[in-house]
Amino acid sequence: MSVAEIHPTGGFAPASAPLAKPRAPRRAPSGSWLFALSWAAPLILLVVWETLCRSGYVAPQILPAPSKVAATAVRLASTGGLFNDLAVSLARAATGFAIGGLLGFTLGVAVGFSRVAEAAIDRSVQMVRAVPFLAALPLTIIWFGVGEGQKIFLVSLGVLFPIYVNTVLGIRQVDPKLLELGRVQGLSHWTTIRRIVLPGALPSILTGLRYALAVAWLALVVAETVGAQAGLGFLAMDAREFLRTDVIVLTIVIYALIGAGSDWIARLLERRLLRWHPNFGGGGR
Amino acid sequence: MSAAVIVRRLVRRYGERTVIDGLDLVIDRGEFVALLGESGCGKTTLLRALSGLDPIDGGSIQAPGKPAVVFQEHRLLPWDSLWRNVSLGQPAENARQRAAAALAEVGLGQRLDDWPRNLSGGQAQRVALARALVQQPELLLLDEPFAALDALTRLKMQALVKELVARHRPGVLLVTHDVDEAIGLADRILVMRGGAIAFERRLDGEPHPGLREELLAQLGVAPGPRGAAHRPAPSLNTL
Repeated sequence: MSVAEIHPTGGFAPASAPLAKPRAPRRAPSGSWLFALSWAAPLILLVVWETLCRSGYVAPQILPAPSKVAATAVRLASTGGLFNDLAVSLARAATGFAIGGLLGFTLGVAVGFSRVAEAAIDRSVQMVRAVPFLAALPLTIIWFGVGEGQKIFLVSLGVLFPIYVNTVLGIRQVDPKLLELGRVQGLSHWTTIRRIVLPGALPSILTGLRYALAVAWLALVVAETVGAQAGLGFLAMDAREFLRTDVIVLTIVIYALIGAGSDWIARLLERRLLRWHPNFGGGGR
Repeated sequence: MSAAVIVRRLVRRYGERTVIDGLDLVIDRGEFVALLGESGCGKTTLLRALSGLDPIDGGSIQAPGKPAVVFQEHRLLPWDSLWRNVSLGQPAENARQRAAAALAEVGLGQRLDDWPRNLSGGQAQRVALARALVQQPELLLLDEPFAALDALTRLKMQALVKELVARHRPGVLLVTHDVDEAIGLADRILVMRGGAIAFERRLDGEPHPGLREELLAQLGVAPGPRGAAHRPAPSLNTL
């Protein structure tokens, strides 16, 4: 079939229309069917996992059945212990995120606006950023012991860089023509920042935020695994002592759920704060 | 009639190059001046100097107030609703009502809370016009504001600008490369060359046979059959 075929009516038809139409019903599965498949596949994997465990092919010390993990979740939740550990972990992540985020944002704003601040700060931050922050783990244990300080420090360190980098980038990418408009409209320095620079930098800052959320959880998992008296990591390490793989798997699942949840919150923030943006906001033309 | 801007012996250099060289210009309130010139003749440089965006290297610019500017691009803030865009830089008191009135004047009074991304090019430029007029400027600077619009939208926009300028009567400096646009809108036409005003003609609403060809010759376009070098003159009166 040629790219542009000549219609019986004599005119040229757009190439896509005659090619796509007759094939569509035969080749392309419907959207709802694909949606069902996308959920059926992981469910089938769960069933296979359950079957393998129940039939004894996989020992429970290696990998517990999903139903066993679920039962453990219910049992730990009913005693309240699970929620206590979850709250401890969430508090650590939130505190570390707040400290690292605020620091990264402040440094990013300073460097984004001032060439002097850039000269003074940026190279040092970039150098420290080049180090995988988890490599600092042994050092943080010497500095802080295995208490809360060490965990919060590690989370803050991990969160700081993505927020910093994306804040600087966002501010630097603000359209100079809009800044010029601000001058023509007679905006004060502060109003220019509030009305033009920060909104213009927001998509980039939110990207940094989303990345930072993922890093925060990674940092927390590593920090809690090393030594803790409470928290999800403590729960997992404590379970390891007694070969309680069901508890370990449960903590992994909870970490995953929290990761997905924080990503969902970040996306919600983007949709809410970037309503005006063609790539995020719904509706429009 | 009082002046909207008085420019005396203006000089503007970019490095070694003198772009504006001793330019004199007075625009009265209510006067519509079109500034023609070949690309790179310094007409946009003049407008930027008048708007206060660029510093000047000599001479003086006297204006009673802050001029308002409409650029070639609409330059709306994509994260602000239309009325917030129009009231950018305006005092907060009654900002929404004043923005609503200005938007109504450009035919967008029903879309105060809409986003700029939902506008066509012509509509966006009308919002930019409302944003300029809400400032009640003594001097309105238009930097090729119709250049990016399609032909029909351009004609409508020209008619709207003519109507609004007649109502608000600021001094207007329209920078354009379109001879027909200048003839259709302006009270006075200037041609800039060599960093100064090289040609000046007052129109005063009378027909000027041969003016179009004269202007084209001033701009270095060889005389030819009517409409060969440019589109036929749009008739603003019929719109």
